Amino acid sequence: MRTLVFIPAWNEEDSIAAVIADVRDCMPEADVLVIDDGSTDSTEVRAGEAGALVATLPFNQGLGAALQTGYLYALRQGYDICAHLDADGQHPPAEVARLLEEVRADRADLVIGSRYRDRGPAGSDDYKATFSRRIGIGVFRFFLTLATRQRFTDTTSGMRAANRRAMVLFSERYSPDFAEIESLQLAVREGLRVEELPVRMLERAGGSSFLTPVRSAFFIFKGLVVLLVGQFRPKHAEAE
Amino acid sequence: MRTLVLAAVSESPKVHLTAQTRIIAAVLALAFMVLVLELIRRDKLQERFSVVWFVAGLGMLLGAAFPGLLSLVADAMGVRDTNVALFSIVLLFLIGLALNFSVTMSRQAAQITRLAQERALEAVREQATSGEDGGESKRERLQS
Repeated sequence: MRTLVFIPAWNEEDSIAAVIADVRDCMPEADVLVIDDGSTDSTEVRAGEAGALVATLPFNQGLGAALQTGYLYALRQGYDICAHLDADGQHPPAEVARLLEEVRADRADLVIGSRYRDRGPAGSDDYKATFSRRIGIGVFRFFLTLATRQRFTDTTSGMRAANRRAMVLFSERYSPDFAEIESLQLAVREGLRVEELPVRMLERAGGSSFLTPVRSAFFIFKGLVVLLVGQFRPKHAEAE
Repeated sequence: MRTLVLAAVSESPKVHLTAQTRIIAAVLALAFMVLVLELIRRDKLQERFSVVWFVAGLGMLLGAAFPGLLSLVADAMGVRDTNVALFSIVLLFLIGLALNFSVTMSRQAAQITRLAQERALEAVREQATSGEDGGESKRERLQS
């Protein structure tokens, strides 16, 4: 099965090379594509040096557009399955490989790596979220579960694996603003089998989260509006 | 002028404008329409966007030429104060126009995104093929 692992990156010159090297070690059979979302630093060059294919968007367009580029490439180039992870080193490639295994075994169309789903007594919790982040996570978890009637614990996870059904859907329709949350709602509404898998994630290596309390509140409000509107979107028959 | 109109309104529901005000209003409306035509002529405004502005200018001109029209409209709306009628019509018109622009902008944003993605993917395909041709050339070029 042809496998593509893609990594959306925006000004990640410090971490991108290490992430690519890890992915290649862990999944030697997979092609690696970095989507450089209009970086102003040397992300593009570093990624090329590390042996990845690089798709460079001419200007920064946000995570949603970058991820959609990856799905579009996977679909057009005839990959059977694909996965994506963050470029900042939070996502261990070994865990991504586990997500891909689920899709390869055809147990789901879309698999989400969840930081919060119970790993059982053996699992250790490496990831600690800040207070305002926890509120946002709680709110989105509640409303997404309400909207989809399916339990989601990690709504904003950027570590996912998908098959061609998901590629077809996401390459056509992917919200630029609320990529992670709305895409889950969309996938469930369109009848895809979406599954969460508990994974281990690491603290972000450098930089702080962009969220202040006011921004978080606005972010949450905007997200709720998006979810509400999403409930009334027309459903589309699948192209394939 | 506003107090004049208000005073006129409090006495009767008809609109009374002095000849001077009507001339000024008509000249402004004509100037507006000429501006719209000029913008089209210089390719600064596409025709499809100009129609609505041209109609707006025409409305202004009609309002200046026949002030009685406004009170007719106000009567039809069931509004006693013609000012209120005028302001609500203009406001609704502008809100509608703003919404229309948002829709246009959203569509264009989506088109720009897709264009950028297509361009990026085109470049990747070139990389991929040059890689298969046994060339590390692209990567070397990137390094230098």
